Amino acid sequence: MSSGFEVDYAVVYKTFHTGIPILGDFKLTETLVVSWIVMAIITGLCIFLTRDLKVENISKRQAFAEMLVETGNNFVRNNTGGNKFDKLIPFVSALFATSVISNLISLIGLRSPTADLSTEAAWAVVVFIMITATKIKTNGVGGYLKGFTTPIAVMTPFNILSELATPVSMACRHFGNILSGVVIDGLIYWALGLASAALFGLIPGAVGNFLSKIPILGVGIPAVTGVYFDWFSGCMQAFIFCMLTVMYIANAAEEG
Amino acid sequence: MDIQALLLITADAKETQELVTLVPWTFIIQIINLFIQVFLIKKFLFKPINDILEKRRNLADKSIREAREAQDKADSLKEQYESSLTNAHAEAAQIVSEAQKEAQVKADSIVHEAEEQAAGIKARAAADIEQEKKKAINEAKDEIGGLAMDIAGKVVEKEINEADHRKLIEDFINKVGA
Repeated sequence: MSSGFEVDYAVVYKTFHTGIPILGDFKLTETLVVSWIVMAIITGLCIFLTRDLKVENISKRQAFAEMLVETGNNFVRNNTGGNKFDKLIPFVSALFATSVISNLISLIGLRSPTADLSTEAAWAVVVFIMITATKIKTNGVGGYLKGFTTPIAVMTPFNILSELATPVSMACRHFGNILSGVVIDGLIYWALGLASAALFGLIPGAVGNFLSKIPILGVGIPAVTGVYFDWFSGCMQAFIFCMLTVMYIANAAEEG
Repeated sequence: MDIQALLLITADAKETQELVTLVPWTFIIQIINLFIQVFLIKKFLFKPINDILEKRRNLADKSIREAREAQDKADSLKEQYESSLTNAHAEAAQIVSEAQKEAQVKADSIVHEAEEQAAGIKARAAADIEQEKKKAINEAKDEIGGLAMDIAGKVVEKEINEADHRKLIEDFINKVGA
């Protein structure tokens, strides 16, 4: 047991030298690999759930799949008030599914892709572009630009700031929550390892020497704290991210 | 172990990335991943499930429509039956009344005929009786004539020629008979 505390950093498996100026070298990180695993899990689940669909006498599996779809439909329709944003349903569902599975995949020992700011930044930027596109579609380019000068022209810099704050806050909120989970999990394991080393180190001789090397206290207790930091936080942040996405886009379409 | 240990990248052999950092390539690939995921979830979850829901809705609509059609049909059939039943009733009544009329006519004619026949029979009987009466009267006249001649012969004591005096006697009888 090392005495130094380490956070679970994303491992870079391989670096490809691309020579492209701004983007730099392409690094195959743990984030990307786990992201692909998450995508495979979600897609596999979708294919599994929608196998041999029937109109009548549906199986429990099909009922569950239909429930998922209905939940997605209702979530978007209730928060936007109507069928105007039905095109968003798959996007929001994909966002939610990816986020939840990414957050919870840390439970099986993989590093969450959402514990990498690049992931959330990517999602937030996509959402920001969608918000802006909806605004421009609703009010026209002129109306969109004019919207920054309300209520008075002096407010323009602040309006621009608040506009840019939207994706930044969305990304950082999600990232911060998941990262805090990772850090706290690391801290708990480290602390429990130290504690068990200290406790079993009291046993004299070779037995104590051997037992103090095993973090026995690390069994069980992290599962309790994990209920909040992994399960609750993971589902909550996914929900909040999707909720904000839908709300912002619905609001963008309403601004007159 | 101090705060610096927290911030230091561990001296592991593994290459790791910073804890809080924006990696352009990861960023770009995550955007692409998100859209691939949207496509996949649309293709493998939403499309089949929405299709099946749509199919079920159509089926329900179809059932309702068919039920309504069947009911309409049954209603129209009922109306038709009722009207035809009313017609049948009227027809039956007409047939009965016609039959009654016909029977009446027939009965009347039979009675009439019978009356006529009876009258004929009566008349013939009367004629017969009259004839018999005449015959009897004539016979009686003949008898009486004979008797009278006998009586007269005995009275006169002479043979009266029957043939000669018949006319005379008959006149007498006729006068007596009248």
